[in-house]
Amino acid sequence: MKTRVTLTVNGQVHDVEIAPHYLLSDVLRDVVGLTATHVGCEQGVCGACTVLVDDRPARACLTFAIQMEGHEITTLEGLRDDPVTQALQQAFHERHALQCGFCTPGFLVTLSAWLKEATDPTPAAVRDLLTGNLCRCTGYQNIVEAVLSVAATECGR
Amino acid sequence: MTRDIPDGYVGRPMLRREDGRLLQGRGRYVDDIRMPGVRHAAFVRSPHAHARIVSIDVRAALELAGVHAVVTGADLVGEVADAVVSPPIPGLVPTRFEVLPTRKIRFQGDLVACVIADDRYLAEEAAERVEVEYEILPAVTDMFVALADDAPKVDDRLASNRVVHRVHTHGRPDDQERDAAFVVETEFHQQRQSHVPLETRGCIASWDQGREHLTLVTGSQVPHPLRTQLVRRMGLRDGQVTVESPDVGGSFGQKIALYREELIICALARRLGTPIRWNEDRLENLQASCHAREQWCRTRIMADADGRILALTLDIVEDFGAYCFYPANYIAEVVGIILTGQYRVDHYRYDLTVALTNKCGVGPMRAPMAIASWVMDGTLDALARESGLDPIEIRRRNMLSAAQLPYDMPGGETLLDVNIDETMEAALEHIGHARLRADADTLHGCGICNVVESTTYGSRFYKNSGIGGSGHEAARIIVEPDGTVTGSVGLAASGHGYETAFAQVVGDGLGVSPDGVAIRLGHTDAAPYGMGSRGGRGGTAGGGALYECARMGQEHLLHIAAHMLGLNTARNLRMIDGRVEKLVDGAWRHAGVGIADIARLAYFDPLALPEGTRPGLEFYRTFDPPPMTFSNSTHACRVVIDRHTGQLTITDYVVVENCGAVINPLIVRGQQIGAVAMGISGTVLENMVYDAAGQNLSSTLGDYAIATACDIPMIRIHEKATPGSRTPLGLKGMAEGGVMGAIGAVANAVNDALAPLGVRASRLPLSPVYLHGLIHGHAISQH
Repeated sequence: MKTRVTLTVNGQVHDVEIAPHYLLSDVLRDVVGLTATHVGCEQGVCGACTVLVDDRPARACLTFAIQMEGHEITTLEGLRDDPVTQALQQAFHERHALQCGFCTPGFLVTLSAWLKEATDPTPAAVRDLLTGNLCRCTGYQNIVEAVLSVAATECGR
Repeated sequence: MTRDIPDGYVGRPMLRREDGRLLQGRGRYVDDIRMPGVRHAAFVRSPHAHARIVSIDVRAALELAGVHAVVTGADLVGEVADAVVSPPIPGLVPTRFEVLPTRKIRFQGDLVACVIADDRYLAEEAAERVEVEYEILPAVTDMFVALADDAPKVDDRLASNRVVHRVHTHGRPDDQERDAAFVVETEFHQQRQSHVPLETRGCIASWDQGREHLTLVTGSQVPHPLRTQLVRRMGLRDGQVTVESPDVGGSFGQKIALYREELIICALARRLGTPIRWNEDRLENLQASCHAREQWCRTRIMADADGRILALTLDIVEDFGAYCFYPANYIAEVVGIILTGQYRVDHYRYDLTVALTNKCGVGPMRAPMAIASWVMDGTLDALARESGLDPIEIRRRNMLSAAQLPYDMPGGETLLDVNIDETMEAALEHIGHARLRADADTLHGCGICNVVESTTYGSRFYKNSGIGGSGHEAARIIVEPDGTVTGSVGLAASGHGYETAFAQVVGDGLGVSPDGVAIRLGHTDAAPYGMGSRGGRGGTAGGGALYECARMGQEHLLHIAAHMLGLNTARNLRMIDGRVEKLVDGAWRHAGVGIADIARLAYFDPLALPEGTRPGLEFYRTFDPPPMTFSNSTHACRVVIDRHTGQLTITDYVVVENCGAVINPLIVRGQQIGAVAMGISGTVLENMVYDAAGQNLSSTLGDYAIATACDIPMIRIHEKATPGSRTPLGLKGMAEGGVMGAIGAVANAVNDALAPLGVRASRLPLSPVYLHGLIHGHAISQH
């Protein structure tokens, strides 16, 4: 049985017909058509599906889409003009902080929110934060260096 | 063959062109591809490890609106051929299995039925409605138990679960014992692991009834060999199938085999006439895709009073799981072949045994031979402890010098182009000599592991080893009518950065800027037939093929240019960044002609070409690498173990590596760090656990732990590169040695730390529970 739900994604309102058990990750990808949010485990562990719900990181695979009425959802597509995200993307590029790229959107979304609030982004703090996002390619070293380089600049503060 | 172009693009740390789309979330992975009218598949899987299928009732599933088909094994008999693995290798038992079991399932997660429905949610709901009656059989989950005479048989067609027994002997190892001052036996047990690419498996198959053509979109490392398997199993011709591998979210060896799921989806797309997609979930990926690495090794080393090796023997037993997707000898065989590395060993034997068990099937995982370096250097460390000799001194005394290379290894390959004698001394300098003492709370250890990494296997290796098949790679380069360039090669990328690195190779080979070179990969219609991405072959086999193809292309372009310039020879011409240059009075000067001018002639004004030159500018070239190329490295690390908790911390990690000439140092560095991280993760964390009944206890990423950012230390990497002597550009290949070295360095460091207590860790993972048990003298099972 499907029901009509109003979702606000990246500032746009979408009226969608979905079943109550549909995951937010699936609805974003298959109904709204935004595929930057990746599904790596559906177990809440890998972090590839991280989106912002009211500006805070959340696992889209552990969230029912029907719960999201009245909330603002932001995906990586919605951070296109965000200066912190842009700085992260540039730093990831320059420091080779991605290989296959599948986990990358989840890292960027998590980090964009964190860098706006972090007061003392030390290497240990960055690594601690990133335990919520799994990467199987890079060994994390270049990701940590990229984050620290952004944190050291004005827009990361 | 070396590059003779000044200031070439090969060797530059160019930023990756792949990054732009991936950083924007605009990659095109299988699940991002939309296809109108597509239907979705879900599989019914066995909850038992070993059982006969008594009956399957699909009626309740078919009653759901939107369910189009529920297919069991009986429905596919005659439509899809069995998988047959029977290369003529002495000691290897031929095996075959059905695409969908009709009588018996062999592991928890094995396939029972496939549901096709309007969407994935519905397909899963219908799958739960399929009623299966099983007759449960005793399961065998331990490879040593599986080898016993009275063990339950995993494959009823076979005489036993022993699918491989092979012995290779060089010299007379047993005769050396009477002269040996020391004889030391050492055991090594590597646990079952899995690849865990962040993107699971998945595919979209569609059948064009009008053209009778199948298109399979799937993340694959080997599109052409996959197509070959697909046409054989489905009774099609090569030209009737297109395999496309789009962006791939990691593979690590998991995306090589033609899996039964993909084949079923293809067969059903053909039967139903609608496109079908399947996306594996993580539960399926951990339970039923492909596992790896479960091996037990025992070495016996005989040495004289100075620690010089007189003889070495290796027994290796491997658990291959329930199905053979590969010749079951091949992973263990490579361990036996390369074990001795850069050490001189005159008398040697390896003895391989491979067993089937009621667990998920096994395949190669990044560095299939990963255990080898730990086994070799761990054996030398054990000899050092037994003899009282210094472990580094033992390594030095047995090390082959540059003057002794090439060296016919006792495993049968010829070792050359390696310099562990240099990388080891450099690594010792970098890790430092400080000797930290154990105290009441902590144990300290330092570990060294020398790695000889077999990177690129040529056809000669496959022929010699009896495996069969080819090691060649193929490249096609098209200079397009506008003067831009399209290069393709039979590889498929999953994070390798090929689009960037190969543009550099083509840039140098052809004499153009990489900016104007597009690299197309992972598509059987776009790329020539090649053997795909596996091992460390991509750079050497693929890059080598592209480079030679590009050189051939440049020669042709300059032949045309000479004619355009009114010269009767191209001898004093070269192409740089798409411009033809002419040697005048010892200096290269722009000749006023460029690649776009040549292309215009070749495509649109062919009568202006030199006599006998045909229109068009397409070039094709294959390259078969030497039998085996080698890279080498030394890994050194320091560890601290908390005596109270058994917690292991890696406090410093150094690699000194020789992986030959490097196309793109930025990409190579990323691969090196990533390989070490995967090795550390496997050494300290990962563990695919089955209980005695064959239930997989590691089916979520919460249970099957892979390394997070806090588990991997800062890795310091230094180079001591020498070029490969038998490959284009001096390339050697890399990206697996890091796994090998990490296992050995960390395990050897832990055993250095444990040495004062008189105990030794022989099993992975080096978990806190295991180490605590060793420290306090009470072994706690990890299982």
